[in-house]
Amino acid sequence: MAQQQPTPEQIKELQEKIAKMSPEELKEFQKKQCIFCHIVAGKVQSRKVYEDEHTLAVLDINPANPGHILLLTKEHYSIMPQLPPEVLEHVFLVAKKLSNALLRAVDARGSNIMVANGVAAGQKAQHFIVHIIPRREKDGVVFELPQRQQNEDSLQQIANELAKSLGAPAPKKSAALLPDIMERIKETEHKDHQERKRKHERVPAKGADAPEKPSPAAPSGNKGEEKEKPPKKQPGGDINLDDIARLFGAKK
Amino acid sequence: MKKDSCLICQIVEGKIPSFRVYEGHRAVAILDVNGANPGHCFVIPKIHYPILEQVPDDDIAEAFSIANKLSVALFDHLGAEGTNIFVANGIPAGQTVAHFMVNVIPRRQNDGINLQWQPKQITEEEVATIELKLKDELAGTGVSHASRKAAARKSVPSVRTGAPRPSPAAWDGDEDPAVTHLRRIP
Repeated sequence: MAQQQPTPEQIKELQEKIAKMSPEELKEFQKKQCIFCHIVAGKVQSRKVYEDEHTLAVLDINPANPGHILLLTKEHYSIMPQLPPEVLEHVFLVAKKLSNALLRAVDARGSNIMVANGVAAGQKAQHFIVHIIPRREKDGVVFELPQRQQNEDSLQQIANELAKSLGAPAPKKSAALLPDIMERIKETEHKDHQERKRKHERVPAKGADAPEKPSPAAPSGNKGEEKEKPPKKQPGGDINLDDIARLFGAKK
Repeated sequence: MKKDSCLICQIVEGKIPSFRVYEGHRAVAILDVNGANPGHCFVIPKIHYPILEQVPDDDIAEAFSIANKLSVALFDHLGAEGTNIFVANGIPAGQTVAHFMVNVIPRRQNDGINLQWQPKQITEEEVATIELKLKDELAGTGVSHASRKAAARKSVPSVRTGAPRPSPAAWDGDEDPAVTHLRRIP
């Protein structure tokens, strides 16, 4: 969402003001400043696609792909760790539901679910948001997650640290073979997918000639047909979860 | 299910060594040895499900709760400046292993990870169509006033004209879809 960039002087002034606030005042202040709280309150216009007691889902105005959904909590939280456990669980169950709906509504072949906590992670708004991004082959969206070799000692140290803070026993596993195995996992699985995908593509689905882009302009000849459609029928008709699951070799 | 050949399942079962940093009832967290950043973990349901849509709600709830705990631990104990929760669901989304997983990635400024995107330009009409289709898919779920209205309308057949009515949820937009259709005729 577009937000006006304040000038450096304004930022400084604000920072001083914020430093003097109590936690309650701070939350109230954040809420007032937060464009997404305004959206939740209906003060800013948005395209709402889903709403329940705790959450609101709107279409992103700067989407990575058509159908990109922002799932918001109605209450103002800056980052995920602030969410009460039951709300957190609820949010991701809604995310699953929305991802499911997206696959059908825009004929997506996959989806990304993403949360950014903190500016370093790419968070741009001061409101907890789950991005649900519909994906297709070669859609121009590239998320780069490099694979970086790490030495075993530091891995063991990190693992111990994490396990300790999570109250789990220290992991004792030797990781000597691990990088190699992880490589193998990724390679073999990827090869498997490619093969299955090829097989899948050789048998064209009913609607294999469906338009690449979810074009809003249904051919005008289809107008009557469109109207007779039962409300729950999939708009594209040719893609369903089974197709996607089959790409991964799940049985029908 | 291809559980036997799934290497993630073998990690869950302990047949392949791994750094298991947390074990819940339904999901476990594993430190990624080739992570994007040191401390990159993935949370996996113990039972094999390839994609999100197949994972039962209880497993999702637990997997993301663990992801959240990890996120907190990364902030508090490993000096992360931020964290990403990231799921690649389906091959076009970048999924490389056929076992649903939630990535938890610790972040620092300029760490070379790119989870940004270039906004796509979409026409108002296209957005409106997507909105209607999504509302249609989601009608009757949630407590949205619009979807409740839509659900109520669904049960009322059109008696006045006898003609089939357009999808009821489609009426909840700002504009009558029939009008939108008319505009599309060249």
